[in-house]
Amino acid sequence: MTQVNRIEGGYVDRRYQCTFHFNGKPMVGHKGDTLASALLANGQTLVGRSFKYHRPRGIFTAGSEEPNALVELREGAHQEPNTRATMVELFDGLKAKSQNHRGSLEHDLLAVNDLLSPFLSAGFYYKTFMWPKAFWEKLYEPVIRAAAGLGRLSMKEDPDSYDKGFLHCDLLVIGSGPAGLISALTAARAGARVILADEDFRFGGRLNSETYALGGMACGSWAEQAVSELNSMDNVRLMSRTTIYGAYDHGIYGALERKTDHLASAEGRPRQVLWRIYSRRAILAAGSTERPIAFPDNDRPGVMLSGAVRSYVNRFGVTPGQKISIFTNNDDGWRTASDLVAKGIDVNAIIDSRDIATVTQLDGVRVHMNTHVVGTIGRKALGAIKLSDGAIYPTNCLAVSGGWNPNVHLTCHQRGRPQWRDDLCAFVPGGELPVGMAVAGSANGSMTLAAAMAEAQEKTLAQLEALGISSKIEEVPQAEDEPRECAAFWHVKNDKKRAWVDLQNDVTVKDIKLANTEGFRSVELLKRYTTLGMATDQGKTSNIAGLAILAEESGKTIPEVGTTIFRPPYTPVPIGALAGRSRGKDFRPYRLTPSHRWASENGASFVNVGNWLRAEWYTKPGEKGWRDSVDREAKMTRESVGICDVTTLGKIDIQGRDAGEFLNRVYSNTFATLPVGKVRYGLMLREDGICYDDGTTARLDENHYVMTTTTANAVLVFRRLEFARQCLWPNLDVHLISTTDGWAQFAVAGPNSRALLRKVVDEKHDISNEAFPFMGCGRITVCGGTPARLFRISFSGELAYEIAVPARYGNSMMAVLNEAGAEFGAIPYGTEALGVMRIEKGHFTGNELTGQTTAHNVGLGKMVSQKKECIGNVLSQRPEMIREDAERLMGFRPVNRSEKLIAGSHFITKGDPTDMDHDQGWMTSVAHSPNLGHSIGLGFIKRGHERMGEVVRAVSPVHGKEMDVEIVSAHFLDPEGERLRG
Amino acid sequence: MLIDHPLLGTRDAAEFIYLGDVSLIDRPDWQAKDAMQQFHDYGYLRDNPAGAHQELWYHEQGDRSWLVVTRDTLTHEISKVELARDVARARGRDK
Amino acid sequence: MAEFSLISEPPLAGVEFEFGGIKVHAPENLAIVSIALPLGGEADAEKAINAAFGEALPDPGRSVVCKDGSRLVRLSPDQAFVMFTHETPDAEPFIEQRLKGKAYTTDQTDVWVGLVVEGSQSRAALERICPIDLHDAAFAIDDAARTVMEHLGVLIIRTGANAFLLLSASSSADSFLHAIQLSARNVS
Repeated sequence: MTQVNRIEGGYVDRRYQCTFHFNGKPMVGHKGDTLASALLANGQTLVGRSFKYHRPRGIFTAGSEEPNALVELREGAHQEPNTRATMVELFDGLKAKSQNHRGSLEHDLLAVNDLLSPFLSAGFYYKTFMWPKAFWEKLYEPVIRAAAGLGRLSMKEDPDSYDKGFLHCDLLVIGSGPAGLISALTAARAGARVILADEDFRFGGRLNSETYALGGMACGSWAEQAVSELNSMDNVRLMSRTTIYGAYDHGIYGALERKTDHLASAEGRPRQVLWRIYSRRAILAAGSTERPIAFPDNDRPGVMLSGAVRSYVNRFGVTPGQKISIFTNNDDGWRTASDLVAKGIDVNAIIDSRDIATVTQLDGVRVHMNTHVVGTIGRKALGAIKLSDGAIYPTNCLAVSGGWNPNVHLTCHQRGRPQWRDDLCAFVPGGELPVGMAVAGSANGSMTLAAAMAEAQEKTLAQLEALGISSKIEEVPQAEDEPRECAAFWHVKNDKKRAWVDLQNDVTVKDIKLANTEGFRSVELLKRYTTLGMATDQGKTSNIAGLAILAEESGKTIPEVGTTIFRPPYTPVPIGALAGRSRGKDFRPYRLTPSHRWASENGASFVNVGNWLRAEWYTKPGEKGWRDSVDREAKMTRESVGICDVTTLGKIDIQGRDAGEFLNRVYSNTFATLPVGKVRYGLMLREDGICYDDGTTARLDENHYVMTTTTANAVLVFRRLEFARQCLWPNLDVHLISTTDGWAQFAVAGPNSRALLRKVVDEKHDISNEAFPFMGCGRITVCGGTPARLFRISFSGELAYEIAVPARYGNSMMAVLNEAGAEFGAIPYGTEALGVMRIEKGHFTGNELTGQTTAHNVGLGKMVSQKKECIGNVLSQRPEMIREDAERLMGFRPVNRSEKLIAGSHFITKGDPTDMDHDQGWMTSVAHSPNLGHSIGLGFIKRGHERMGEVVRAVSPVHGKEMDVEIVSAHFLDPEGERLRG
Repeated sequence: MLIDHPLLGTRDAAEFIYLGDVSLIDRPDWQAKDAMQQFHDYGYLRDNPAGAHQELWYHEQGDRSWLVVTRDTLTHEISKVELARDVARARGRDK
Repeated sequence: MAEFSLISEPPLAGVEFEFGGIKVHAPENLAIVSIALPLGGEADAEKAINAAFGEALPDPGRSVVCKDGSRLVRLSPDQAFVMFTHETPDAEPFIEQRLKGKAYTTDQTDVWVGLVVEGSQSRAALERICPIDLHDAAFAIDDAARTVMEHLGVLIIRTGANAFLLLSASSSADSFLHAIQLSARNVS
């Protein structure tokens, strides 16, 4: 196909030819074209099918407001549906397909919907698919789903990458039309840090599409000159292809920059960047959007907004038709006629709805004042138009202008309500604007070039003054104050034929009338009932006409009807851009223990514990499943010695003269009396008396403690300690700093743990039972002088230690401990064996501390001191929390030892019915104990401490199972604790 | 949102953790006769004003300071930011 | 002679790469010790710091390079870091002695990993992850800020016209390195 509609002029670069394919058909265009302008150049007026009726549709606009020309861009996994051809920059090799048709674009099988249109009016879903009920799921929904939607997803993983970023500026200028450029120039010349953002790939806005004289030159040339000045300044960041999509609190704006969408390949770079822009002030110069007039069969390919026709002719050097007519209710429509005539394009007629004198006489152009277009002829392309005075004009392009709407969207993102201006027949920004924002130019209703630029300068100077940036007033370039009179005229009345208001959603004048008749008179209900203003264009060209028709029908004024609320985003933002880098394994950061490498080299499999990756078990050759490994690890530890990386437990360094007193207050038990060189178990409560966290705290020196927290609560406990330190007791001398990552810490547990450590700890340190008893701690050195800390604490119930070395030695330390332990058959163990051993010893963890558990429940009621000030002790004494018949933490074993206990089972007293009224408690943790040879469990049961030996039923309705279990001590092994003191 | 930290200047609210009403500073005396009632009120009763609200924020991804931020809950306007430690002392929190 | 010996393996030791105008490397043997000023003893502690390093403790958000090359960073009213080159794992006692017991010290060396990001495009790379304004007018040389990048807590210090030192938790060193590498690659 040749470029039949290509004409002279414009800003396309004819030196660069781009070959592209539309529906497989090769075409050519130029650099500087959009896909839309290139399609028009090639005479491709039919570009898609409408949403509901599958009507043939053509390009309607030249910007981001496009409702019709949505295409599937690119191929394979790169395919992107619902891409606006008017925003796609042409590149060599571009491939696009039309969408929303079954069969070819020319012969869409679903075009039958158009014949069925009497049944597909607004709300047809709700009315049509109600009976029979059984049909909904099996028939109606699948059929509707298959027919609904526009473009199709590739169903493949998005191969592109996306990024995010943060930008800061004194002044953000949104839009680079005449107002935006003057604003940016004014601020930049004054030395402010300026960001100028425009969704287009070419700065200048409407200046690129108009033929005004500005500052003594063509307005497009003036824009080029202004951009080149801005480009030369260090304090200006020019961001083309960047949509400011949302206005958020305190001057923060969301921006989507399309980095590589105009290239054939992203070459591994992020395709788009989602910016968070921190602006001290902003100028919204987003311009305005033209709106159509609804008239019968106004959706034919070839019917186009009048300003868009000027864009194609003046900016892109393409004429959308060979014989063009114009239908307008305002002066701006006449501008299109004069521009076309100046280019030598055949203009048939101007049809103006107003009953006024002819605005301009143009050679060879017939004028019909006080006349309407009442119909169109043609199906896949416009052939002719019929006028209310009976005239018929053959025409293949009808330029329609219903006036211009200021782009108020961003002013409404914080619930600002626009105000109606009768003189413009449009809403302008009103009420409270987002903090720091000022609006200038046609976005604010200053519709003429001269007015827009004057206002932009004035508003910018005010913003600079507020920022304390001095500037001198420069003369605004000489511009036209062109006539912009407009009359309110929204649709041509006709009771028989359909007149489209919202092209994208196939909403007609009739649908709006129907909604009103059926009582959907609130503008928000109208939107949801008819779908007016939904989907990718969010009604940019259709909303006002919709409101006007609703107002007319309901006998109200447009401001009385009001508008729906504009929310971010202004134009669609891909999910991929919102996700940014957070995909797959980069979804969130991960933390590795110091011995991670050793573990992965020694058969460990890993489990996510929060952000940490921890070894869950180490598989030895010959082991068939995880149970083999875990059983071996738990058994070997109790028989000889096991080593586990416990670095993930939170470590908080606490220093200060009042550190002991501080610990007294944050733990329920006493710490100030702890001798130097000793460790104590501590239980923390919430202020409401519920258990919060537990761990051990060691006193290294008079004023120096080291607290450990559970892995899960490390961050939360630190936060809470800082709260206590700063907000509750601000005059205590106490200082906190996390050292979690600084020390690689290993549990060395089992009867041979001391013998193993003796080989590693430097000789000068006596670690005998007498010199280093249970709950002792101290600074030592290992392996010939490396500083370390040794704590004699035990989670397994065995003779055990935790030894810490600076993290840089952690991997090496793990290897050394295993090597030194080889003669004892030492084994590394993971979190599963750790869990088995803690259940064998009756230690509670997160499974038990659910946020509903009291100290009384876990048998530590006496640990909550009432003799000192501490968080939670007062409310822990509420009667309900210390009930005699409260659930108590107990051990459980199956009466039939071969049965496997089920966590989450509920306990029912023998003989009682299985219901909530007879619920006695529940099983919290279960494990197979390799040391006992059967399943064991921990759980809470009412008055458990008085029920030792009782057999109850453990019922799990979820699994449909129940079994008899015996209540026993939670300490399955060594209840007297002889091993750990040995 | 942005929070103007009294020592560090304007920082994105994403660096902070929100806790709640500033009254959480006023922890009751554990030895008071009606301590149970006072702690109950302290723990469970909060005003939820539509308008200016003094609230506690923690600069977790920053200097670890607790702040008292006066924020209008209707507009998000922040009119005052203080170090909570100073506020606590001014409210009579001692050792 | 002990039977066993330990090998020092800091997570990012030896990292060095370049993308376009961005050079990144992990500083060698960077020791970090935190200094907490005792309540009521702030003046004495500041005096001791001045005596030990020859520089006054800067304001929060600022750092200062001392004559011996160590850097004092004030993080909050009662907390500072001193950063210096030191190979052996005794950075904390080394500083404690110099401060003569006038402040509380905690070894932070192995808590953190550091990366130096420098070159003409360094700010463009950091723009992708750093919410702090790094413009000359907003973040001068020796300014310091703790913030969040890619969900990671980061202490960033401007060490030169086009040079930044970034510190983050050592356990998440891989994720931190990935964040910096990707940022550098994405803008190069």
